[in-house]
Amino acid sequence: MEPYLYGCRLEQDIIDLDQTMEHLQLALNFTAHLAYRGGIILFVSRQRQFSQLVESTAQGCGEYAHTRYWQGGLLTNAPIQYGPGVRLPDLIVFLSTLNNVFQQHVAIRDAAKMNIPTIGVVDSNCNPSLLTYPVPGNDDTPIAMELYCHLFKMIINRAKDKRKRMELLPSAASLNTSELLKKKSE
Amino acid sequence: MDYSNATMYQNLYTFIINSPTLISLRVRDLMRSGVIKPSQKPIWFDVYDAFPPKKEPLYVKPHTRTTKKQDPVPEILYREDEIRAKFFEQYGTGYRSFLLHKPDFVSTCQRFVDKYMELKSRDELSEAALFEETGKALLAEGITLKRRGAPPVSAESRESRLTDVSAEQQVVGAGSEETTDATHTQ
Repeated sequence: MEPYLYGCRLEQDIIDLDQTMEHLQLALNFTAHLAYRGGIILFVSRQRQFSQLVESTAQGCGEYAHTRYWQGGLLTNAPIQYGPGVRLPDLIVFLSTLNNVFQQHVAIRDAAKMNIPTIGVVDSNCNPSLLTYPVPGNDDTPIAMELYCHLFKMIINRAKDKRKRMELLPSAASLNTSELLKKKSE
Repeated sequence: MDYSNATMYQNLYTFIINSPTLISLRVRDLMRSGVIKPSQKPIWFDVYDAFPPKKEPLYVKPHTRTTKKQDPVPEILYREDEIRAKFFEQYGTGYRSFLLHKPDFVSTCQRFVDKYMELKSRDELSEAALFEETGKALLAEGITLKRRGAPPVSAESRESRLTDVSAEQQVVGAGSEETTDATHTQ
């Protein structure tokens, strides 16, 4: 976490918010593109004080949330635990990367094993190395968590609305999605 | 879309977890070798190529420092901190508590610092003189600064050794008290 920290004031680590801004934009952009393409997004957070908020966020944007105890084989042993032919999430968003004993959440490692990209809010006591799009930020205060949840919900809803509108247009059939990406990256 | 990806990855399980490659590289290699058909390409693959993260998500082991190395996170210190330290050392925590419910609250220490900087810009005095001038200026404004005094060491009674020893102990006690108090307030 050291490159993402601005400094240390009276033994409190201060996160560099300019970097946070860039990382957050990247992460939200990725989420939007995935939601546009019809991907399944899973919100994970093991913080009990925000479990209700995370679950209502997921419900509000029509995606999924897992804020309870993570059983070992949920991703890696999915066909046996859930049944054959189960579809795994295409993106996992961690609103807090730690579990209740302040160790890294098992799902980060499991998502990397199952080739699932991850977005995570990393605080100064977290390890951001295994996440594809880490977002350095505070994961403890209610205001910060409400901001993240609001942003993700808004982004996913907008992407899904855009998708519906594009499908209704008659010219949508001719446009390739990879062409859309090239246009956006220019 | 064929969702037997989970079973397929389980077959490559040990190979995958033992190699420290990224999910993008792994998927690209699997596609090139033909294990993943182009129809089974993950949704996030194109999006990841178009908008890659700032830092590659390679796992970095958090180093356990056995020897005391230099802390890479810089301390945030201001020029006013010197003034604040001297203020707290001399006057203690002040007579007014921090009323944080007011958004534009200025504490005793902050007023002292502001007055000090003002006087410094106006006159060219030494530090100790400036310190006293600020004290006098604040007194003029109506804030009395009670000095945190050391217990009195009487210069007259130096006849018996007992009083000498007790005086020394008092001075030592006051010195250690002051240092511990200074660290506590900081």
